[in-house]
Amino acid sequence: MKKKLVSLLLSASMVAALVGCGGGDSEAPAADDSNTSTDAPADSSASTDAAGDTAAEGEGEAAASDYQLDTLNIVVDGTLTATLDNGQPEFEAQWEDAVAESLGHPVDLVIQQLDHSGYIDAVGRLFAGGDYPDAMIMPAAMFKQYAPTGLLWDMGSAYDNADFQERMALPSVNENLKDSQGRLYGFAYGYGNGCVTYVKQAWLDAVGLKAEDIKTYDDYYDMLLKFHNEDPDGNGTTGDTYGVIAAGFMGNEAPWINYLPEFWQDAFPAIYQDESGTWVDGFQSDATKEALLRLQQAYKDGAIDPESLTASTKIAREKWFSNDQTGAAGAFAYWAGTWYQTLTDNLIKNEVDADLVELAPIQEIKDSWGGYLNREAPVWVIIDDGDGDDAREQAVFDTLIETMMDGDKVQTLWTYGAEDVHWSTKAESFVTNPGTENEKSYEYADGEFHLKPSPNDSNTLWKKNLIDPALVICPLTNGFEDTSELASEGNKFFTENCVDAPASPTSETYTNETGNIYDAQLACITDVVTKGGDVDAAMETYVSTVGSTIDTILEELNSAE
Amino acid sequence: MKKNKKVVTSTGVAVREKPLGIRIWNNRGYYIMFIPVLITVIIMNYWPMLGIRYALYDYKPVGTPKLIGFDHFTKMFSTDAFWVAFKNTLQLSIMKLIITTITSVVVSVFLNEMGNLLAKKTLQTVIYLPHFMSWAVVASIFSLLLSPSSTGMVNGWLKDLGLIAQDQAGIYFLAESRWWRPIFYLINIWKETGWGTIIFLATLSGINPELYEAADIDGATRMQKIRYVTIPALMNTIVTVLILNLAKVMNMFESVFVLYNNAVYDVSDVISTYIYRQSFAIALPNYGYTTAVGLFKSLVGGALVIICNQISKKVRGRGII
Repeated sequence: MKKKLVSLLLSASMVAALVGCGGGDSEAPAADDSNTSTDAPADSSASTDAAGDTAAEGEGEAAASDYQLDTLNIVVDGTLTATLDNGQPEFEAQWEDAVAESLGHPVDLVIQQLDHSGYIDAVGRLFAGGDYPDAMIMPAAMFKQYAPTGLLWDMGSAYDNADFQERMALPSVNENLKDSQGRLYGFAYGYGNGCVTYVKQAWLDAVGLKAEDIKTYDDYYDMLLKFHNEDPDGNGTTGDTYGVIAAGFMGNEAPWINYLPEFWQDAFPAIYQDESGTWVDGFQSDATKEALLRLQQAYKDGAIDPESLTASTKIAREKWFSNDQTGAAGAFAYWAGTWYQTLTDNLIKNEVDADLVELAPIQEIKDSWGGYLNREAPVWVIIDDGDGDDAREQAVFDTLIETMMDGDKVQTLWTYGAEDVHWSTKAESFVTNPGTENEKSYEYADGEFHLKPSPNDSNTLWKKNLIDPALVICPLTNGFEDTSELASEGNKFFTENCVDAPASPTSETYTNETGNIYDAQLACITDVVTKGGDVDAAMETYVSTVGSTIDTILEELNSAE
Repeated sequence: MKKNKKVVTSTGVAVREKPLGIRIWNNRGYYIMFIPVLITVIIMNYWPMLGIRYALYDYKPVGTPKLIGFDHFTKMFSTDAFWVAFKNTLQLSIMKLIITTITSVVVSVFLNEMGNLLAKKTLQTVIYLPHFMSWAVVASIFSLLLSPSSTGMVNGWLKDLGLIAQDQAGIYFLAESRWWRPIFYLINIWKETGWGTIIFLATLSGINPELYEAADIDGATRMQKIRYVTIPALMNTIVTVLILNLAKVMNMFESVFVLYNNAVYDVSDVISTYIYRQSFAIALPNYGYTTAVGLFKSLVGGALVIICNQISKKVRGRGII
């Protein structure tokens, strides 16, 4: 017993000693308590380590133009489609050559591509470990939460004085990102894009409907019911298909309603600014209650695939274009533009009738929002090393963003990928899907810009790299253009039928409580939609769970205005 | 001069104990061999424990952690979702433990009674196999089988048998609170029963055959032999298995994580999945809060280990630690 007691005490003292050792400030990962951008935001040594170059080179004395960046560390998500197995090494090498030529000195580009679906989580872990890149991509909602932390560099001045301003086609995109004091913490290279509702033409034909006749919610709902009840896939069984499928009844990021816009209509189940400029909780509105009742009815009627509750975007789209259309749905709201082509390609690959039609926004959407919602754009952010000198950050801006918008070589790399890997101007001919009914031949003359087959899938034509040429704020000046007809048509359709989504909120309490609020919202939605619960009772539970937190957030937001 | 105390060697000879320094020197080979182990334990087991202090800090991915005292614990104890997760952790773990132990015992006894060795070995192999499948694969398989859509096999059977009307929507087994737990237990039985039988079969093979012979002489039936010989012989092992596993009940994560969804948080969310969502599903998580929840989980787990140790001492005459 005595021995055990002694060993217990020894263990406890060892732990206490270790805890004591580690309690010093030297372990602190980043330094900013003030929520202002001018304060030191991040552990500069960590930032330097991440960059791989020496911050000492530029500390204090070097002017922005003198600072020479040797290594550029960037973190990206899956929107950089030139992945490691899809031509990224070639992209990287060509970027280094082009930038060296442009800046007059070599820069080593280090890309850290994180898993797209777990990006937010992975970035958090990266930062918590003190591993800061020079620049990174942030989705809009994530950016809104990081902007006030002081971690991000205010690139307002760099942006205003950038060379690409001369060619700026969509100035409002970044002007809207500036705060009331003109600070710009993130650079959007294009507008956000959004989702439109795609419908399988063969299914419309099978149930005797025309897309142009789907004008109101009643028309839309009637179409969904027909897709469920009238055997649109022609397998002889009714009720084994669904009207629509989505990745969740509510999206997991802003603008929340874009995967089922016809059901949500005028509702916006999140905190947003109303017409008067007051921040409100749209989830508690009558519009949301009505939307939940519509979803409840659709779930009950089989108009919506019940697996929408648990489906990820990948599962939803794969089920939608799967080879076996039993259990599939006829309508699917998904991203506009390039995805129009991608969805079609996948239907072709799976030997399913690939004719798709883009559904114009129904009257209820037009009357409320005015069209499909154009989400807030993802942005590039530059990490502020907190040394009080902007030289390094300006160099990152010049190396990454200024060149990215050069209209020529580097912008082409970010737009279409690597030359002779993803695209080419050399004479060549190739065939996709050889030996199948979808076989297609391509032939190009010397000097003709064209996209090549994807490096990892020779039957699919490469579409784009990071920047969508149709959405970019500064167009290319070299005349390179090879966007598929469908992608162009999709972009045109979306831009003609979209409005900007409400801006995401920025508040300390909101940041702290996002997880709890989202859980409470999902609980309310599933309670009503899948369990057939009373909407008022479910809303009361929501209010009793997070109502006081929401009030605090609204107070913070409205007092800050 | 202080005299060294006497110690008795393994051969029973009483000798005066040498000073510590000399003993260490004499056994330096062992101590040198132990150094890597000690370093590994410190680095891998104790060093990460420094993070415990963040339970008292406001600690986000950016910014300096700020000492806030016990605020996270106050928030944690006043959050309904935490208590739901805590209650679910205990309920799911303990029920799973009891059910899988019972099924393992029953299957072991049946296997033990099988006379055909080939059939016995084949059956053993078949029931062991699910244990080697990852939970992600298991979840995918059962999600497909239990799908509420027209492609779900189980709902198809129910419709064919007339238990669900043809025009009625299928049951969403993994998204309905009343179904989720039974399905979770069933999947656990399917996956873990085979593996659980190993220790019981080992015990069964060690039962003295004379006990069965004596029972035969007394005219005992097969069921009576199971009841009066086999089960009593297994009792000590059953108690040991229960006690050892009871200490681990707070560690449930993977099996729940791959099978749950937001529609069934009320019956499925456990402490570990709650921590996961609070840490990784939001842009700027407060690691301080999740550390506090994790610390609470560890303390409860530690208390369970001590309780189990005491029970073990009482029941088996020796502790587990």
